[in-house]
Amino acid sequence: MDLLERYLQAVQFWLPKEEKRDIIAEISEDLRSEIEDRENQLGRKLNQSEMEAILKERGRPVLVAGRYLPQRSLIGPALFPIYFFVLKIVALCYIVPWILVWIGFLIFAPAYRSSSHLGSAWTSLWMIVLMTFAVVTVVFAVLERAQAKSRFLEEWEPSKLPPVRNKERIPRASSLFELIAGAVFVTWLANVLRTGAAFDSYGVHITLTPGGRAICWALLCFSLAGMALSWVNLLRPYWTMLRSSVRAGMNFGGALVFLLLFKSSLLVEFAGTNLPAARAAELTKWFNLSISWSLLAAALGCIIAGVVEIVRINRLKADRAWRAQQRTMNGQAISSSPGISQSGSRP
Amino acid sequence: MATSMNDNGLFENLRLELRRGCLVLAVLAELRTEQYGYTLRKALEVHGIEIDEGTLYPLLRRLETQGLLASEWREHDKRNKRFYRISHDGKLMLRQLLQEWHNINSSLELIVGEGDSVPRRQPSAQP
Repeated sequence: MDLLERYLQAVQFWLPKEEKRDIIAEISEDLRSEIEDRENQLGRKLNQSEMEAILKERGRPVLVAGRYLPQRSLIGPALFPIYFFVLKIVALCYIVPWILVWIGFLIFAPAYRSSSHLGSAWTSLWMIVLMTFAVVTVVFAVLERAQAKSRFLEEWEPSKLPPVRNKERIPRASSLFELIAGAVFVTWLANVLRTGAAFDSYGVHITLTPGGRAICWALLCFSLAGMALSWVNLLRPYWTMLRSSVRAGMNFGGALVFLLLFKSSLLVEFAGTNLPAARAAELTKWFNLSISWSLLAAALGCIIAGVVEIVRINRLKADRAWRAQQRTMNGQAISSSPGISQSGSRP
Repeated sequence: MATSMNDNGLFENLRLELRRGCLVLAVLAELRTEQYGYTLRKALEVHGIEIDEGTLYPLLRRLETQGLLASEWREHDKRNKRFYRISHDGKLMLRQLLQEWHNINSSLELIVGEGDSVPRRQPSAQP
């Protein structure tokens, strides 16, 4: 019986204080009844292995105790889909860009390749991941408690559901906006390339270096291509595989150009009639630095936009395959229907 | 095919799901006669409803908390045992649940149809 006492003690450890004695007395009584039954059948006392077999059949103490506890969950099934969705959004909008920027640093800033930088970057990434996960989980755990009390999720209005959205439709307003913004930008760029000056007022001249001119040409090409695409989208406002592929190619190409230009240290130069040479040199340095970082950010934006297009292409492919499958199935259904000829027309 | 008729794990899960609601009915009906936990388990087994103690005792406690059962500790065969019996509220509830169960059964008979019915399992005395 020593084994039985040890088992009961182990179960007791996990039980709630106020019900401990009562539950253990009942489990104990049930086990003793079973042991007694077996002993009567066998006509002798149970040996150690037979006792062990009975206890093993009952289950691990923590699991046995767990069945007496109320069901608990930090985030219940009602809120879990929203919780998981928020975690995905946070990962996509915060952690993925962080990793992309870090990779950008790694590729284009040799100083970041030292082991100390790598170590601290990973430490801070894990801290961010853990903190984000913890904060989101705590917020949802609090919401779960509030939901359990007020049942706020059960209150809803069907009339407030969002309208049906066609993911492949391109809003004409956005195409029109892209066209107008593109036209203004292209005009400004053409003027900058013609004069070679990005700014020429109040006695201050900001002139383009060869690197700066390269950026402007690249921007001009991408802007013109983008305007052409916007024009087509305005006339035929639905995404197709071809247009999505062109847009993905433009985004990834743009990212590559921006990343290559990111390494250029001198893109524009400052000069001024009333500007001291030292001040102009300082301004040139800081202005070029900020352009470089803007190029990195633009490259990142292009990569994200490219990935979005890849997702869209995959969705278009899946839709096309699904429609083809439906057509095949409908065709089979029609051809196998009584009274309908193989061609699908009624006789 | 991803699942087959021989998928015992899936069948076992669905069987448990199907039985869960019936257990309350069986326990309430069986406790129209006062019994303690171990004999109740054995009585249910004899009638073809196997229930492990990890399911039975928490269920008994829950039904008692809900006022459908009453219990008391008493000495029996030189040991203290907890005897359970159905309460007045429990009897009313059992009547309503049995009515509901009969309704579901009739509906299912209509839905499934006589052609698809399977032979009923004979109650077994084996644990």
